[in-house]
Amino acid sequence: MTDATLTSNPVVSARGLKKSFGGKQILHGLDFDIPAGRIYGLIGHNGAGKTTTLNAMLGLTSYEGTIRVLGEDPFAHRARLMENVAFISDVASLPRFLRVRELFALLTNIHPNFSPDKARSFLEGTDIRPEMKIRTLSKGMVAQLHLAVVMAIDAKLLVLDEPTLGLDISYRKRFYRRLLEDYMSEERTLIITTHQVDEIEFMLSDIMFIRDGDLILHMQMETVNEKFSQLVVNEPELQVEARALAPVYEETRFGQTVMIYDGVDRARLEPLGRVSTPTMSDLFVALMQRPTANPERGQ
Amino acid sequence: MKAFSALIHREFIEHRGAFLIGPLILVALLFGATILAFTVGRVDARFSGAIFTLAPLRVYEVGFLGFGLGWLLYLISVLIFYCADGFAADKRDNAMLFWKSMPISDFRMLLSKLVAALTILPGTVYGVALLSGFLLFGVAFTTMMITGTASWGSLGNIAGVYVQVAFAILVTLVCGLLWYLPFMGVAGALATALGRWALPVSALLPALVSVLEWVTLGGLHPFDTNSWRYLEWRLAPPSTDYLDTLFVTDAPFNALTYAMTLIDQMDWLQVGLGAGLALAAIYIASEYRRRAAAN
Repeated sequence: MTDATLTSNPVVSARGLKKSFGGKQILHGLDFDIPAGRIYGLIGHNGAGKTTTLNAMLGLTSYEGTIRVLGEDPFAHRARLMENVAFISDVASLPRFLRVRELFALLTNIHPNFSPDKARSFLEGTDIRPEMKIRTLSKGMVAQLHLAVVMAIDAKLLVLDEPTLGLDISYRKRFYRRLLEDYMSEERTLIITTHQVDEIEFMLSDIMFIRDGDLILHMQMETVNEKFSQLVVNEPELQVEARALAPVYEETRFGQTVMIYDGVDRARLEPLGRVSTPTMSDLFVALMQRPTANPERGQ
Repeated sequence: MKAFSALIHREFIEHRGAFLIGPLILVALLFGATILAFTVGRVDARFSGAIFTLAPLRVYEVGFLGFGLGWLLYLISVLIFYCADGFAADKRDNAMLFWKSMPISDFRMLLSKLVAALTILPGTVYGVALLSGFLLFGVAFTTMMITGTASWGSLGNIAGVYVQVAFAILVTLVCGLLWYLPFMGVAGALATALGRWALPVSALLPALVSVLEWVTLGGLHPFDTNSWRYLEWRLAPPSTDYLDTLFVTDAPFNALTYAMTLIDQMDWLQVGLGAGLALAAIYIASEYRRRAAAN
């Protein structure tokens, strides 16, 4: 069992979640709970099953097993669920034939929890004007507009699947800052997938690593920091000692040997070299190489 | 209901080019050409006005009815393309995921497209048809005034003709939409799965059914079957013999009589069955859309 599965009323709860496409199993029976008020990073390689997992949560695809989002079966009751869930997918999916003001007017009537005033306020300070057609906006402006739309929805769960794909660094930073400052609260839960893991690391409360349809790590960030250590060791004889402590990953960077450990006491590592907490991308590279980082998962 | 109306409005915004702007441009071109023809002397106002003296009000009736027929033909063609294209537009525009993030079921989403095809979209073309009739009457009345064959006093009669013909076009439009509803529903359902390919597939399907009937039950040739005969009958527009008799008498056009005979001669059982088929097709398409990959 992982430390994030202990909550009584999770926002998302999955048991034995499986999905197959054309006879090939994409998800191999995922079990997880996501509590309220957390910011989750769902991280994995291309094709690992991140988007399929999110699609199952959002009722966009059928599945085997059980999944409940805010107590609802998402595939059976997607429409009802969407009153309290907002999401941005990894493609620029705003309807391009609309003007910005038409989009807000439509959403005001379609979505019971959408506030056009909030959406307009989120667009203040941007170059987006109400009369603009969405098809004329740049990719970055579409992302800003889409973020303004979802933040103007009073949702309990926000799911962002590669929301900043193709955007430059300044847009990406602005995007996440806006999200944290203007949207997140204790009542809201955010699930986010991205390949730029280092950019979202600062805001995450929990991470889930998914590899080839299996959940290989599901943990609070505090626990990650306590559990995993990175050691930089240069002396050959110390390297032998360090290897004896069974690092989960080892690589050479610029002539230095770097090892990552799972659950090894830092006091034992410190005499061997420089010890630090691995970054999310280092941990990602390390854990994606090995069979499992959570052998007790699903117990 | 508010959300459903908004979805119908969305359809109007997305397809206003075909149902509003295009027809308005056509009207402007026609009206402009007419004015130009009078201005450069291509049409002699005095001669044209004199023609109206033969059967002044009948010319108004026939002219507006002809316009109405033209607009109905235009509407049929754009509705065919709307059903084949509009039902697949969310996917084509890459906006499927956005609409799926809204608290609207796939069935309601598709139903709103079908309802738009029955209400706001043809209603808009009808509005333009009324405008074109108004302009036609304006031109005709002006030419009559120039030749002195009309007076301001005849405006009441002309307005009466306008109302009668406008009502007749409306009834024809409503009956036609109800009659062709199953074709729109099936084409829309096919478009949900096949996109624009729904158009040729919609044409191929009945041919396939007829060929299958011929293969299994026999017949002179693949299109000498019950299913093909039924389809031919079902594709024929609703009609009434009132218009045939209209042109051999001097009696003015009576829209109410026309409407009553048209409604009376419609096969309402077929309309009901067709509506049921359209709803079933849309439901099946919505289940497909619910399960299909959104991105």
